[in-house]
Amino acid sequence: MNQIVMAALLLLPIAAGTALAFMKRAEKRAADAVFIAALAVEAALCLWYLFLPDASIPLFSMTDTLKVGLRTDGVSRIFLSVGAFGFLPAGIYATRYMAHGERQSSFYAFMLFSLAALVGMDCSENLITMYLFFEMATLLSMPLVLHDRTEESVRAALKYLFYSIAGAFLALLAIFTLSRFTATLSFAPQGTLNADAEAHRTLIEVTVFLGVIGFGAKAGMYPLHGWLPSAHPVAPAPASAVLSGVIAKAGVLAILRLVFYIVGTSFLRGTWVQIAWISLALLTVFVGSMMAYREDVFKKRLAYSSVSQISYILVGLFCMTAQSVSGGLLHVLFHACIKVCLFLVAGSFITQLGKTRVSELRGVGKAMPVTLWAFTVASLGLIGIPPAAGFVSKWYLALGALDTAIPFLNWFVPVILLVSALLTAGYLLPVTVSGFFPGKDFPALERTDEGTPVMWLPIAILAAISLLIGVFAGPLTNWTAALAAALV
Amino acid sequence: MLYLFLFFPMAAAFVAWLLGLRSAKARDLFASLATVVSFGLSVALLLLPDRSADLPFVAGIGIHLITDGFRKVYLCVITFVWMMTTLLGREYFSHYQNVNRYVFFNLLTLGATVGVFLAADLGTALLFFEIMSFTSYTWVIQEETPAAIKAANTYLAVAVIGGLAALFGLFLLYHTLGTLTISELYAAAQATDHRTLLYVAGGCVLFGFGAKAGMFPLHIWLPKAHPVAPAPASALLSGLLTKSGIFGVIAITCHLFWGDPNWGRLILILGTVTMVLGAVLALFSVDLKRTLACSSVSQIGFILVGVGMMGMLGEGNALAARGTFLHMLNHSLFKLVLFLSAGVVYMNTHALNLNDIRGFGKGKPALLIAFLCGALGIGGFPLFSGYVSKTLLHESIVEGIERFGSFGMHAVEWLFLLSGGITVAYMTKLFVALFCESHPEKQRQFSENRSYMRPLSAAVLLVSAALIPLLGSTASLSMDAIADLGTDYLNAGTLPHAVAYFSFENMKGALISIAIGFVLYFGVVRTLLMTGKKGRRVYVDRWPAWLDLETLLYRPLLLKWLPGVLGPIAALFGENRLLKPLAKGTVRAASVGAHAASDLLDAFVLLLRRTVYRESKPEASDKARASLAYRVGSRIDAIASRRGTSSGNRHRYAEASFRAQKTLRETGHRLTGNLSFALFMMVLAISFVLFYMLILH
Repeated sequence: MNQIVMAALLLLPIAAGTALAFMKRAEKRAADAVFIAALAVEAALCLWYLFLPDASIPLFSMTDTLKVGLRTDGVSRIFLSVGAFGFLPAGIYATRYMAHGERQSSFYAFMLFSLAALVGMDCSENLITMYLFFEMATLLSMPLVLHDRTEESVRAALKYLFYSIAGAFLALLAIFTLSRFTATLSFAPQGTLNADAEAHRTLIEVTVFLGVIGFGAKAGMYPLHGWLPSAHPVAPAPASAVLSGVIAKAGVLAILRLVFYIVGTSFLRGTWVQIAWISLALLTVFVGSMMAYREDVFKKRLAYSSVSQISYILVGLFCMTAQSVSGGLLHVLFHACIKVCLFLVAGSFITQLGKTRVSELRGVGKAMPVTLWAFTVASLGLIGIPPAAGFVSKWYLALGALDTAIPFLNWFVPVILLVSALLTAGYLLPVTVSGFFPGKDFPALERTDEGTPVMWLPIAILAAISLLIGVFAGPLTNWTAALAAALV
Repeated sequence: MLYLFLFFPMAAAFVAWLLGLRSAKARDLFASLATVVSFGLSVALLLLPDRSADLPFVAGIGIHLITDGFRKVYLCVITFVWMMTTLLGREYFSHYQNVNRYVFFNLLTLGATVGVFLAADLGTALLFFEIMSFTSYTWVIQEETPAAIKAANTYLAVAVIGGLAALFGLFLLYHTLGTLTISELYAAAQATDHRTLLYVAGGCVLFGFGAKAGMFPLHIWLPKAHPVAPAPASALLSGLLTKSGIFGVIAITCHLFWGDPNWGRLILILGTVTMVLGAVLALFSVDLKRTLACSSVSQIGFILVGVGMMGMLGEGNALAARGTFLHMLNHSLFKLVLFLSAGVVYMNTHALNLNDIRGFGKGKPALLIAFLCGALGIGGFPLFSGYVSKTLLHESIVEGIERFGSFGMHAVEWLFLLSGGITVAYMTKLFVALFCESHPEKQRQFSENRSYMRPLSAAVLLVSAALIPLLGSTASLSMDAIADLGTDYLNAGTLPHAVAYFSFENMKGALISIAIGFVLYFGVVRTLLMTGKKGRRVYVDRWPAWLDLETLLYRPLLLKWLPGVLGPIAALFGENRLLKPLAKGTVRAASVGAHAASDLLDAFVLLLRRTVYRESKPEASDKARASLAYRVGSRIDAIASRRGTSSGNRHRYAEASFRAQKTLRETGHRLTGNLSFALFMMVLAISFVLFYMLILH
């Protein structure tokens, strides 16, 4: 049974996407129905699968050593849920957001294809399979950025493609090297390095270092972070939401698999590689927040915020202690929920009020109270105000970082995390403040329309979830703590 | 029981909000009832034995609640003050806008404040502390005037920065001690060797909680926020929310650093500065509520002096502990009475400047009695409760002089008495302005205004005020009993003998202060701080406007200097200004090490964009170059027009076919571009592999 569900998880979006791709333009309602049904069933399947035992499906072998196959474990489940439950609200929202645009069904199709590629990545049994799906996710999500076909969006899409492919090839180099020094490329906690590895330490260190930088392109890690702030403002809001909330997590997953399941932490802990990674991720955390703080275009601000927040996760992974990895995994879930919500809010401001800049958002709270309330609740989560979600993950991240034996960095990490939290407050709270409290004599906005429930309900639900999973984080933290304990 | 107590106001907030959508009357009645019920619950809690409760799964760190004497007494104070302000608020807010919002956040904040004082560990305390900060923010911004917005932003910034600093402190504490439970902190701190780390952690927590308490140099939000907030909110902010900060400071001083003279000295110094500075600011102020706000800063300084003395004295801290606790309680009461009186003044006059409200109190005995009780209490006059707590604090300083005998201790004593004197001076200034002087134009209007408050408001004011002389005159009974309850949490030793409050020895300090006060009032306030204008004496603000820590230091630091310095650095990385030239250089230098691979790739992308993928400029001879398509199109147009099918729309096919061809060409260009890029990348990767196989392997 569990194998069938897993196969269905992968095949359903592909089938539905293919059907959508061949649909005629006039059949908008049918396209909406197929799209939402597919996403809803996918989410239901994912929920079901969370309660089933792990499955494995061997597919085929390219050579004796290069096998392609599927298998799940605890980490897969986290990323599967992020994928299925992140796409669903964005998808529902998209049916309204994209209603007046062109090429609606092709947009839906590529959303589903991206989801399929992500599911494939989540369920990969080994590095080769994951790499295939990783490339596929890049190619299939690029049309989402490209959707508007404007000069800017084409340029942004190409930038995304260049960065991702360049990153992927760096990663490929690591895969080539590692295939020589590992017993198998199948994922196993603590890694699969063979006896030769220690003798070629420098080589492995360099290539793995570059490989992580390469995969880091997808996660928006410095120095290959440049595509995120370009791609998000031009993509439609639901696409930005999944790109930043879900698809960027593919980079996190790839890094997690490479570092913890192939190389293993015992090989890397305390080396220059770890220090360099932490430094780069920390730099990204700070730079992202600071750029977001200085940015006025709302979606671009959120994009820089993603650059910063996803590197929180990476800092957690690179610190390689049980608590920090646990905090990182929690932040994967929390950031997905929060960022999808925030981007949808930005989309509502664009469609309902035609406002793209933060400085124009004065007084929106009177016009769209539900939307701005949701934004506020989600923002508090992202800043990490207790008891909202971000607080829990940052708590574990900081404690985990303090546990590392690296001198200087072990206390510098929490400092930067908090400085960045401060900047996060600095770039999110003014929207709430000027939105709800525009001043005594500020004239009411002309349009006071929240949009249909199809738009504000997903936003409100996501915001509520972001608060609730923070308040009732107990079961989640136990789960991620158990996962993390097996990895370090 | 504890959960009910904690979550009842929060649940009531939502009910009140929903009710408020229908009817303002029902909402106000319900909100008043909710606070009365809360007060009832806290009294019930006071009578019940101590208890504790845990919700371990919440927010990752869990919620741990506990009650002891200190907490129970203070919860009664909180719910009492809340009840009184809410009852008076019914009249105060009757002409306000957005009252629904105020009532909602008012009840939420009550729940959060209760949570802070119920907290058994610092994590829980911080959790509710943060909720409290954010919900109380809406009080400050309630009126949405430019001044209110500015003050609220300051409040929010202090809350966020303070909260994060405290959070960092908790990280460090938990990392070094492995516990945040307040009662376990001392033992854990004794067992660890990382004393420096503990001081850093303690400093961060002190920063966070001290900011809320209004401790120097983080007192900046108080004098800004109070004049603009509605009066009931000011009473809560200054009477209770500052005390939640003190609660945290006590948790570190009396538990983590119990009997640590270094820490005690730090708190003592900060407390003394706060005490004197607040009093001086209050003396200079000509705004009724601003004076009271600065007075809060000063009184918090008194309390912090007590906390500091507790730290310095270690075992013999009983006097300091009792003084601290009682002064906290007293100050909550004083500020309740004084701010509510100010609220009554503002409700009628819509002014706060002393020159505009002088004489308002003439012929209003209820207001006079209430204000006088508050003023005499805060001034430390014998028979009023402030005298008791100030005497205890003073005695503890005297004890410190006996123990250490240093010059510093003597200085603290004299500054303590001086601050008490300034307190008397500025309260006299307010009292004289309100009740003795008369307004040059509006005095008749003021005097004729007999229905200046509803009976309910008058009852609230008088009941609250009556407590002050009641407690003060029965000090050996009531106040000693209350102080006994507080000893557990404050880790206080036992008192060697009962304090004879009304002996001459103890009266002396208060009398010196009162004498200083009157000297200051007639020597400074009536001369330097007033000026003759057209034959009349008016109050003037002599405090230089530029002398303000916020505008002088904090705002430039946070809004200009930090982003000014760090922003460009971030931009250097964020926009790859650093990497791009570097990458260009790397391309020029053909041989690169393996660790520069990422730069090389970036350079490669750059190179491709500069060469192969250069943006094609619109070409002038587009039409000429697309001549074939254009010509075919024109031909079709000609045919069509001859047949009369597209009469008004010449060149339709010509344009369309031209555009189609152009799109085709661009698409093709992009396609080949991408393909060739992918090929380039393949080649690059293969050469990497070759390089590796041939040389490294």
